[in-house]
Amino acid sequence: MEVFEHLATGFMAAGSLENLMFCLIGTVLGTLIGVLPGIGPIPALAILLPITFGLDPLSSLIMLAGIYYGAQYGGSTTSILVNMPGEASSVVTCIEGHQMARKGRAGAALAIAALGSFFAGTIGTVFIAAFGPPLASIAQQFNSPDYFALMLLGLVMAIVLAHGSVLKAVAMVLIGLLLGLVGTDINTGLTRYTFSLSGLWEGIDFLPLVLGLFGIVEIIRNLENPPPPRETISTRMRDLWPNKQEFRDSIPAALRGTGLGSILGILPGGGAVLASFASYTLEKKISKNPRKFGHGAVEGVAGPESANNAAAQTSFIPLLTLGIPSNPIMAIMMGAMIIQGIQPGAAVMTTRPDLFWGMVASMWIGNLMLVVINLPMIGIWVKLLSVPYRLLYPAILLFCAIGVYSTSTEPFMMVLMIVFTVFGYLLFKLGCEPAPMVLGFILGPLMEENLRRSLVISRGDPTIFINRPISATLLVATVLMLCLIIFPQFRKTREEAFQEE
Amino acid sequence: MVIKSPQDFGAGILFILFGAIGLYVGSDLTFGSARNMGPGYFPMIICGLIALIGLIVTAKSLAIEGPAIERIQFRPIIFILLAIAAFGMLIAEIGAVISSILLILFAAYARRDVNLVETVVFAVTTAAFVVIIFVYALGQPMPVWWGR
Repeated sequence: MEVFEHLATGFMAAGSLENLMFCLIGTVLGTLIGVLPGIGPIPALAILLPITFGLDPLSSLIMLAGIYYGAQYGGSTTSILVNMPGEASSVVTCIEGHQMARKGRAGAALAIAALGSFFAGTIGTVFIAAFGPPLASIAQQFNSPDYFALMLLGLVMAIVLAHGSVLKAVAMVLIGLLLGLVGTDINTGLTRYTFSLSGLWEGIDFLPLVLGLFGIVEIIRNLENPPPPRETISTRMRDLWPNKQEFRDSIPAALRGTGLGSILGILPGGGAVLASFASYTLEKKISKNPRKFGHGAVEGVAGPESANNAAAQTSFIPLLTLGIPSNPIMAIMMGAMIIQGIQPGAAVMTTRPDLFWGMVASMWIGNLMLVVINLPMIGIWVKLLSVPYRLLYPAILLFCAIGVYSTSTEPFMMVLMIVFTVFGYLLFKLGCEPAPMVLGFILGPLMEENLRRSLVISRGDPTIFINRPISATLLVATVLMLCLIIFPQFRKTREEAFQEE
Repeated sequence: MVIKSPQDFGAGILFILFGAIGLYVGSDLTFGSARNMGPGYFPMIICGLIALIGLIVTAKSLAIEGPAIERIQFRPIIFILLAIAAFGMLIAEIGAVISSILLILFAAYARRDVNLVETVVFAVTTAAFVVIIFVYALGQPMPVWWGR
């Protein structure tokens, strides 16, 4: 079995003492940041990105992946105990998890979330190992038109899944694409939109952009509207074990959640948020007793928590095999890979198998570590919630500033970060969600390049996109998605889904 | 003309401005043709779309009710930006320790009711921590003190 051989390579690479340590640091730091209310995986990754730059590529990716799961996981903890979702994918966990906590089953809810996530993480890892290589070989048949169609689908999906107004989300994606084009045009060597600033010749730097838009704007938002103090539900270790009935109810839900999440994670635009909402809806629909939903139904914790973790894993597949990020979080991972000098894509698997498989193996190790550091140490994480924000935010800000400075000592980078903070603040005031913009930003240059190449191949004939089976299929999917947005019935459910937040 | 959705109106205007500036700045780039795309081809299409969406969003904001723009509070954003600017301008001159302390002090004043003693103690501790982690443990190249 080749898969096992590959996995063995991966575990060898990821199992070195050094990498285990970075994995641990990543998961701990991620949990630490994720537990803090209002900081989801995107700002957590943005804030912690700089500390991974000094590491070698594998260690840094392992650490980043750890930060991502950790942040996601930390979000569930706060959802259950404080009813404050740290991020969008744990919004649904809030609904049932916090109700369970109020009935004195906080420990059980946490344990089910942890075990469900770990189980889903394991399956997700197997999924990547099994489907990564075949998808990578399919990816080799991908040509420019197919890549272009795939990216278009990804962007449209990101629009469907963005909060609030569809039109604004479209505009955000487009602005992201445009910002991605700033810098030197690779084909002609001409500089575009640089406003004669030499700092922009190589394009807008990724780090000041994400840190400004997500890290710092988040701080300003919290300062303007301090989150109301909420009552924390304390939990004791001995309450941690779910009872028989809870186990019986949650196992099938976790299985369904894992399956659903694994599949939704691979789809362009899919990811943890979509998976957890879908799983919650599914559980509610097939439950024999839908009335208990909203009053602490254990399935409503097990399903979505498994689903979001499975999706978090499998959403690495498009990035690692096609080199295309499927959601804003993966866009940040891709940004980090490029900074490390790795061009994500099918080639990574053959040229750097240790990197690919090491990362896959580390995902499983990271998930295991999460269970270990979370369940017994839950008390510590809850304590963290009592660190006053007045001390927290200056430290986060300092982290952002040092992070930018440590990648480039150019004062211009700070200026960029300030510009993006102001821009992000404006967007926040105007009710625009910046997450789709990051996806556009990363995809901008790729899309242009592939569009250009496609039309060179076809000598300017746009029908090349419908003549190739792969791109035609993807475009049909894109059009279907667009119909869904316009179709009123679906639009209503989309609004309802976000209403629950 | 009555603006029914101030948030959308603002967003629409922002998009129009963005698109218009993009079209204006990009107008001297060669557009080319589909067969032979110039550097201006893709950006111009995108800017056009942004401006178009801006127009639609603005038009809709005049017809459909929507949320108001929350009042802008100047204190947080100004102090946060000052903190970053001070850090960015000074770190090369005076080193990481003092510029970190300055950043934290400025940032702390983004809130009202600052406890100065607590803030100073916290700033000094954090600065020490940052230097230990970033300069000594991670080996990031940055001056610790001035005059290097």
